[in-house]
Amino acid sequence: MDFLFQSILNGILAGCIYALFAMGLTLIYGVLNFVNFAHGELIMWGAYFLYFLMGKPFGLPLPIALIPALLLTILLGIGMDRFVFKPLRTANRLTLLIAALGLSFLLRNGAQFLWGAELRTYGFEIKRGLRILGISITLNQVAIILTSIVCIVFVYLLFHRSRLGKSMRAVSDNLELARVVGVDSKHAIQFAWVIASVLAGVSGILLALDTNLQPGMGLINLVKAFAATLLGGVGNIWGALLGGIVIGLAENLGVLVISPGYKDAIAFGIMVLMLLIRPSALLGRQE
Amino acid sequence: MDLFLHLCVMIIIYIIFAMSLNLEVGYTGLFNFGHIAFFGIGAYTSALLTLQQVPFELSLLIALAMAGIWGFLLSIPSLRLRGDYFGIVTLGFGEIIRMVFQNEVWLTKGPMGLPGIPKPILFSYRFATLPQYLLLTLGFAALTFLILRIILRSPFGRVLRAIREDEVAAEALGKNVFFFRIKSFVIGSLFAGLAGTLWGHYTTFISPGDFTLLETILVLLIVVLGGKGTEWGPVLGAFVLIFFQESLRFLRLPAEWTRYLAPLQQMIFGGLLIVLMIFRPEGLLKEKGRVSNAGN
Amino acid sequence: MLEIKGLSKSFGGIHAVSNCSLGLKDYVITGLIGPNGSGKTTLFNLITGSIPPDKGEIYFRGNRIDGHLPYKVAQHGIIRTFQLTRIFPKMTVLENMLLAPLHQTGEILWSLWVKRRRIRDEEKAYRERALGLIETVGLSHLKDQFAENLSYGQQKLLELGRAFMADPKMILLDEPTAGINPSLIRKIMELILKMKESGKIFFIIEHNMGVIIELCDWVFVLDNGEKIAEGKPKEIQNDPRVIEAYLGV
Repeated sequence: MDFLFQSILNGILAGCIYALFAMGLTLIYGVLNFVNFAHGELIMWGAYFLYFLMGKPFGLPLPIALIPALLLTILLGIGMDRFVFKPLRTANRLTLLIAALGLSFLLRNGAQFLWGAELRTYGFEIKRGLRILGISITLNQVAIILTSIVCIVFVYLLFHRSRLGKSMRAVSDNLELARVVGVDSKHAIQFAWVIASVLAGVSGILLALDTNLQPGMGLINLVKAFAATLLGGVGNIWGALLGGIVIGLAENLGVLVISPGYKDAIAFGIMVLMLLIRPSALLGRQE
Repeated sequence: MDLFLHLCVMIIIYIIFAMSLNLEVGYTGLFNFGHIAFFGIGAYTSALLTLQQVPFELSLLIALAMAGIWGFLLSIPSLRLRGDYFGIVTLGFGEIIRMVFQNEVWLTKGPMGLPGIPKPILFSYRFATLPQYLLLTLGFAALTFLILRIILRSPFGRVLRAIREDEVAAEALGKNVFFFRIKSFVIGSLFAGLAGTLWGHYTTFISPGDFTLLETILVLLIVVLGGKGTEWGPVLGAFVLIFFQESLRFLRLPAEWTRYLAPLQQMIFGGLLIVLMIFRPEGLLKEKGRVSNAGN
Repeated sequence: MLEIKGLSKSFGGIHAVSNCSLGLKDYVITGLIGPNGSGKTTLFNLITGSIPPDKGEIYFRGNRIDGHLPYKVAQHGIIRTFQLTRIFPKMTVLENMLLAPLHQTGEILWSLWVKRRRIRDEEKAYRERALGLIETVGLSHLKDQFAENLSYGQQKLLELGRAFMADPKMILLDEPTAGINPSLIRKIMELILKMKESGKIFFIIEHNMGVIIELCDWVFVLDNGEKIAEGKPKEIQNDPRVIEAYLGV
């Protein structure tokens, strides 16, 4: 029974991280109407930026290295948009997606070039966790949950209480109309990238804290982020949150019954299941 | 000389692989980013069967069938989706298949791979040496080219292109878009399986690490660089890229460099894809059709 | 030919089409008018199967077609054009035309190997007919151009020609004269009248009353998703309800 609760906790933990992935992904989808295939790499680079700043020659402790790491991630996100996606704003969908895929590949191998393909960690020893009600939870994991909550609250405030948030929602609803009405779409878009990058960076760091760093961590998490997005309804940021938690739980409870080698496939399986059962929710209208 | 022949074999295998993707992406407008899965299914199926002494003719047919069947199974739930969604699903599928190759050790020997794949014996003729294998692949490539050409130049192929251009209009003209897409996808998967089979028997050793996103990116690059939606595009693209990829392998470089060289080469591929899409998305060969100013 | 009973469709809280009943029988060219947002295009979409109705039935030549997928509706012999022309951009004018005929043997995969001669003959026949129609609509000099290179007016002609090529029993035209110059409008009207002679039934959404009056034998008027009037064009013009609908909006 303890084992079950432990799995549930792990599931919620992973779910929080996936929720942040999905929220970032769906934000960009909502504002620019395409699935950023390179989002996984934004996540991955966020994690590596921190690693870079914590290592030689900077050697900064985590709390201090965090801000510059996120700033670098934001830079990367805005750069992605400026150099790859903006020139293709009016191109056809296939062209855009192929470019995004190429970008993802470029970034992934960039990381491999700089840091190699071996698994790396931030170097915190695994301290023994507190035992509450028979479940073990480490300080790391508490940090993960708290950070996720902070991020989620922040996003909420941003979206529903700020003017920029309103602009973003307007742009995501109808880009043409927003432009005509004078909503500053350019800034709204940039802002969306900033937020998405922060979410990606934070979630990448949390993931690396919980597991490890490797250049390939982007791709499989893209699929999971996407599955979570689908579950919650594409473009719906709170749906993405919920979807993330569900996927996290499904993964950790799922490995109780199926082989752990397929843990990463569970998200995919859920996605396929959704497609079979409720395709109407996902049929995008052809433009 | 051997290097030259090796290059030719690799190029031709990738031509087949690229032609199969071109059918799906270039002609039908399907965003298949997991095409390597079917290449791998073909390779593993034929390898496993021939290792069990099943004659090559049969192994090949079964490998093709497996690739086609899995193409069918994947497409049923996902082909009604809009482009990006379908793209992610196929991407995910590619990863899942790789996981299957990796985890089902009882079947595929997992990460250790399958060594000693026998050379094919087709109609009592054994294609063991390099020139013989070149002949074999050339024959299959020509066959593939002809079959696909017949399909693409037919009314069926016309409908595929119409679907790519505007599926709503195609549907309004009475074409069952879903069925056409499925057929296109299955045929594409089938020929990808063929390419995979030929590749497996050529390298005689396959492992899950051979069927990753890199290969999908490579074949995608070949198709778009060469010119998607054209008959000779995949051929041209394969020549250019495989030549680049393989010849790098044969430069005698110090061992420490390879750690950096592989990701660097792949960064170039990624970057090339981006640059291509921004500056020349049609690729090298454009689709036929007079583009002169129509005026009024 | 076409019989609609009690058709309704809502999007969210908006009743795009409410309890609409109408029939197209022997009237060969029927018009559908109404202020913007009255549900005309939605009605077309319901007929062609692009969207499923919430309530009601649609019969075409005795067969029930509501809720059918668009390709099935088309196969019943109903072809439509779109408000914003939907031609196939990177295909030539000729190819656009050749796509139109239904049930082409060459579109069936297996037939490519076993019915080669039949396909060849069919293609030849289609090609001849297509070239004839291209000539009729006046696009002969553009037959090998990519459709995306045509002007808006030329694309409208192409879409019309393609609809004719499909040899349908009924053609739904969604604003066929929108956004084009008067001489082209005249040309399109002539084409429609010519096709009427060969027995095709037309159902036309139009804002241009001049076109409606000249072409149509009967007109239906929609307002807010409901049918508020029907009759001969001249009668409709003077119907107070219709006038109010257009002015009141």
